[in-house]
Amino acid sequence: MAEKADVWQGTLALMVLRTLETMGPQHGYGLARRIEQTSDQLLALNYGTLYPALLRLEQEGFIRSRWGSSDNNRRAKFYELTEAGHRQGKKAIAEWEQATEILARFLRPAAEA
Amino acid sequence: MPNPARRFRAICSRFAGLLHMDHGNDDFTAELESHVAMDVDDGIRTGLAPDEARRQALIRLGGLEQTRQTFRERRSLPWVEILIRDVRYGLRGLAKNPGFTTVAVLTLALGIGVTSTIFAVADAALLRSWPAAEPERLVRIVANTPQGPDDLFSYPESQDLAAQGKSLEGVLAYSRHSAILHTASESRQLVDEVVSPNYFSLLGTDPKLGPRFLAAAKNHERIVVISNAVWQRFFGADPRLVGKQISLTGRSFTVIGIAPPGFRGLMPFVPVELWLPLTTWGGENDRGSRDFELLGRLRPGVTAAEARAEIDTIGRRMAQDYPALNRGRTVSIVSERQRLREAAAPTLLMMIAVGMVLLICCANVAGLILARSDGRRKEIAMRLALGATRARLIRQLLTESVLLAAGSAALGLLLAVFLFRLQPALMPPSKVALGLDLHLDATLILFTTVSSMLAVLIFGLSPALQATRVDYVAALKRGETGADRSRRRVTLRNALVVVEIALAATLLTASGLVLRSLLASRRIDLGFDRQRDFVFFDMEPNLVAGYTPARTAAFFDEVETRTAALPGVKHAGLAQRVLLSETEGAVSKRVSIPGVQLPQDQPTIPVKFNAVDGNYFQAMGTRILEGRAFAITDSGTALKVAVISRNMANRFWPGGSALGRQIVVDGTACIVVGVAEDAKINGPREDPEPYLYLPFAQWPSNHASLIVDGGADSRALIAAERIVFQSADHNVPYEVRTIGYLMRQSFWSDQTLVGFVGTLGMLAIFLGAIGLYGVIAFIVNRRTREIGIRMAFGAERRNIVQLMLRQGLALAGIGACVGLVASLLTTRFLASVLYGVKPTDPLSFAASAIFVVLVALAACWIPARRAASVDPMQALRVE
Repeated sequence: MAEKADVWQGTLALMVLRTLETMGPQHGYGLARRIEQTSDQLLALNYGTLYPALLRLEQEGFIRSRWGSSDNNRRAKFYELTEAGHRQGKKAIAEWEQATEILARFLRPAAEA
Repeated sequence: MPNPARRFRAICSRFAGLLHMDHGNDDFTAELESHVAMDVDDGIRTGLAPDEARRQALIRLGGLEQTRQTFRERRSLPWVEILIRDVRYGLRGLAKNPGFTTVAVLTLALGIGVTSTIFAVADAALLRSWPAAEPERLVRIVANTPQGPDDLFSYPESQDLAAQGKSLEGVLAYSRHSAILHTASESRQLVDEVVSPNYFSLLGTDPKLGPRFLAAAKNHERIVVISNAVWQRFFGADPRLVGKQISLTGRSFTVIGIAPPGFRGLMPFVPVELWLPLTTWGGENDRGSRDFELLGRLRPGVTAAEARAEIDTIGRRMAQDYPALNRGRTVSIVSERQRLREAAAPTLLMMIAVGMVLLICCANVAGLILARSDGRRKEIAMRLALGATRARLIRQLLTESVLLAAGSAALGLLLAVFLFRLQPALMPPSKVALGLDLHLDATLILFTTVSSMLAVLIFGLSPALQATRVDYVAALKRGETGADRSRRRVTLRNALVVVEIALAATLLTASGLVLRSLLASRRIDLGFDRQRDFVFFDMEPNLVAGYTPARTAAFFDEVETRTAALPGVKHAGLAQRVLLSETEGAVSKRVSIPGVQLPQDQPTIPVKFNAVDGNYFQAMGTRILEGRAFAITDSGTALKVAVISRNMANRFWPGGSALGRQIVVDGTACIVVGVAEDAKINGPREDPEPYLYLPFAQWPSNHASLIVDGGADSRALIAAERIVFQSADHNVPYEVRTIGYLMRQSFWSDQTLVGFVGTLGMLAIFLGAIGLYGVIAFIVNRRTREIGIRMAFGAERRNIVQLMLRQGLALAGIGACVGLVASLLTTRFLASVLYGVKPTDPLSFAASAIFVVLVALAACWIPARRAASVDPMQALRVE
């Protein structure tokens, strides 16, 4: 099994926004599992680190939370995107794509040489 | 995602998180529980045993407590949280120990309050509120003559300086006078400055007022600018006053402007209320009448040295051009700011003195904190042992000190404001308002904040460092450590306490002396009946146009007759001047006495005199010892007569009677018809000297004082008298003085000295007591175990109290002795201000020593009692 990568600074929030965008309202545990799955188990995600990130997004007004019940009838706190969260998600994705593209240009010649 | 608005929202949310801390944490605990439960469910579904599933879930989570911790830190602001906790802890600690808190806060508040007050005084004396633009370019033009410095110039001279001085933008002239403001209901004497037209524009006081004043003054218009204070007090801040006429000393002037608030003229202590242009005042063309002080404004870029050289040249030219007036007179400049700074040097010295007082306060409070933290030694050792860092504990202890300082600063500011209010009462009694412009402003608050935070470093840091420097194993085992290390510190503190008490003893001895002196001078026979409720009305018809000598005499006569008829008036008399007036009593007549050799073969000698009418002696209660007082028959056309003082009679006719003798007053022969008892002329402490009373009718004056003894209700008398004056002639200005005012004026310097030295003495003894209390309390805490052992071996409470008192009294005794010796050496400097008491007065010395010892006893009593209440079993079991 390949060595798992750490979560890069600042990318966790983007992953959360993106995941909520595609999946709709989700609780913390579900989010953690989903992020892990999406990364094909390549990411070493400490589930606990998700919660401060969620709190921060909530404090910034990008997501909101409420208590509900899960698929197998457990009480859980569900997070969903706010209007600002949707916008922020799009903006962050655009920024991230631009950043990776720029970085790719730097890396390409080195790879070819 | 660095979006400022979002970040702000997050911070607000975190502050909100501080408020419902517990709720948020409970909520998150529930969320974590559900998270783990779901993970465990999934684990069991894949076939794991429940325990194993839970173990793996927790590993994936990264630990429950760790997660909760990072969440908490994100949820609110950890440092604020700790701060709040420290503040709460500090407040709780202070509240638990109200005695300590009260004493510490009072001590610091005194120190801070006094320091802030003196700072405000120094600030105001340095003309903080000079609303002059660029005051650093203002220079004072001064002259030097062979007789000494002379700072007065005539207006033509100021114009020469302005015209020839290329280094100066301009020169302004001003001269201080007083004028009487007549309003519908009263006439009040106010300080005015007669100024050159460019006064406001050169100062740059107000951009609109300057040019307006300049233009009107150049047109010789009769205009006036009034101070903001006068505008508020006499005209109810009427916005339509500008352009209207007001009446000043019998003439009407147009108000062309109100000075900006806080503009008080050019001297810190004497606030100016009116500004009149010298062009309407006359005398501005006389080169010889030097009435004006001059200020110049340097042109931008010109140095003071360049300007000084140029002004010096102009001065030499003046000496050549006008040798009669200016021979030997040189002219120079000094920086006005520099001059004011030098004039304010005494307040800077006071600043240093109160800074020392604040230091002593800090040292005392440090002692108190140390005595207390000794009791917390075990708590601190326990917390260090449990893993608290030293920095954390220091921060916590310092938070407590900051709380103390904050409370003290607030209280100190209140004290300062209270002292500001006291200022009018502390100023010498005067017809015009004196005093500095003292008020609470941002500068003062900033100063107080900074000085109290510096105080925290002094009184808080050292005890905090010391309290946390604990060998905690030993401390927990034995409950005491570091006794040897702090022994030297105790000695230092003992020395400080001895010095404080010595200082207090010295100041209290001095207080006793000046108090005895004041009481003695209050018993001086003033030569009139001071028990009567005199009111003096100083009338000045000379300021009103049209008052001929005859009309003046008729006016005085009418007022006196009407007054005597008022209900409640027991006596009324008339005199040119009132006794005990420092400035008014010194006028004298040249007197020669036929047949008597005058000292040094002088043809005449100056004798102070008063012109009085027939009712004067009876009204004042001045006894006639021989002969008679004046009578209605001593009229202007009758034989010239005089009444002389006993001192004069004894000096020139020793052994014989002066009655019927002839004296020559200003060339007029008079017959002595009476001898009056000696009265104090200028001040209560003066020695008797020759004094002359002349009949008012024969020596008329264009101003006079009406002396009325109208019973206890002087307010009713003043109200009734106002009607008398209004019906006689409401244009004649008059001032009212009461006997109380006169007495305050006469005894002001003595009373102020008593108040000042006494306050310092009480402050010093208070600080000394606090210092002593701190030392003894510290010793009691240190020796709890020893006391327990003593009591276990049969010592009685009484013995323990005695043991502790003895320690305190030893310190107090040494301090008192040092203080008394210091007093013996220093009180002789008071000799010149003492009356009727020797500088070595044993009563004052004994009273001071006894008082110091009593206060010291009281200060030691509290900790000594606590020592005696030690429960021996408990004290020993603590081990």
